[in-house]
Amino acid sequence: MSTTLLLQPPTTSTPQTTLALAQQAAPFFAAQSTWLSALPYPLNLLINTESQEKWVTHENLFLACLRTGDTASASRALEALTARFGKTNERVLVLWGLYQEATASNQAELEEVMKSYDEILREDPTVFGIRKRRAALLKSVGKPTEAIGDLIKLLDASPTDAEAWAELADLYVAQGAYEQAVYCLEEVLLVTANAWNMHARLGEVLFLSASKTEAAAGERLKTLSESMRRFCRSVELCEGYLRGYYGLKITTDRLLETLEGVRKPQTASADPVTGELAPPSLEAVKKLNQLATAKLAEIVRRGSAGEKGWDGYSPAELSAARDLLDRDTQKIQR
Amino acid sequence: MAAMASVVNILGVIFLSHAVYSAYEHSLLPSASIAPTSSAILPRSLDPNINLPIDITLETLFSAFLLCVGVVLSSPGLKPIQWNVWAGGLERSKEAREVKEVGVGGGNPYAGLEERAGFLDIRGKRKEFSDWIKQDAGSEKS
Repeated sequence: MSTTLLLQPPTTSTPQTTLALAQQAAPFFAAQSTWLSALPYPLNLLINTESQEKWVTHENLFLACLRTGDTASASRALEALTARFGKTNERVLVLWGLYQEATASNQAELEEVMKSYDEILREDPTVFGIRKRRAALLKSVGKPTEAIGDLIKLLDASPTDAEAWAELADLYVAQGAYEQAVYCLEEVLLVTANAWNMHARLGEVLFLSASKTEAAAGERLKTLSESMRRFCRSVELCEGYLRGYYGLKITTDRLLETLEGVRKPQTASADPVTGELAPPSLEAVKKLNQLATAKLAEIVRRGSAGEKGWDGYSPAELSAARDLLDRDTQKIQR
Repeated sequence: MAAMASVVNILGVIFLSHAVYSAYEHSLLPSASIAPTSSAILPRSLDPNINLPIDITLETLFSAFLLCVGVVLSSPGLKPIQWNVWAGGLERSKEAREVKEVGVGGGNPYAGLEERAGFLDIRGKRKEFSDWIKQDAGSEKS
């Protein structure tokens, strides 16, 4: 149990799990320094303490301790990593950057960190880890436009970096530039075509842009149906995907309202000139809505009961889905 | 199910060894050295040219059948080979997401596109954590 916790990537974790992980730091380091590893030179060659698990654990503990503010343990893990992989290792450079960012107490120190990043990049502009850190730091100090500029330069050099495209999309969404965000997410999907969560993300961004635009009803209808298709793809790639079905239900609800408002009958075929698909028919949307409702109800029922093999949904997502379903039944009762 | 499968397997092994031993014992009999009449159905190249009693042949076939059934019954459950079933399992159950060793398990392989470890906002995460601790302490006091 404890070893699997140590191997869990800490970025995905909640504060509770981070705390549990950071509390394991002291026993782990105590177990690392035994009298065996302190043997003099020729003898210590006989003992092999190297393993993948060891260094993954060091990195995870470093990140967890940094999050919980346990800088002493974090620097201990970092020193062990530096001693093993050298100061110029790209990954170690990034970890040093993280450490300095986390321990910087004021604006001037953060600018120092930024200068050190610039220094590294002047020597070797291909250290992508540091280029990403630089963009992340710019975003963190509240300069999103400069971060966007940095990312665009990075993506010019390496256009298949899906992570950077996804980050750029998020920055654009925060700025309200939905069209650019959609473009970035489409680039992500070109690299990782099976990523069901990115399909759902694209559906969400399209839905946001459809809810925001003051544009004509036709434009809104087109964006909404595009969003619905993205959610359909995400649940096609992953059955029982709560987020996908939630999005599918919301978009089809909205589409039903919009489609009923439109008077003229739908043209069934795609536009041959632009290659755009026609909006879906009313029956198809109704069927999809029913399917999404049924699936959501099943997930909520079995997920909250904690049936075997259905315990993986997050409680927050489950309660959101339950609220959505409750809202629906209230509307019918009225 | 597992117990029944091993019972079937053990029975199969017993029958198989009994059949093999019987065939060996039969080959030691003086009557076994008499050349058998050649088969009427099989072509010459496939004719085994032995005279084995029919009950030994049947026992061998029966033990092979028992072993086949036993091996199939005792094999582990099938793993999903369809993308959407496999992905659904990852979303649905905690057990499927568990990290077993470095690079094995760990849930949605594309989660990194939304968590983005390369762009980790460590200062934001630290603040989130200290807020959580304060909130936790506050709720305990009240």
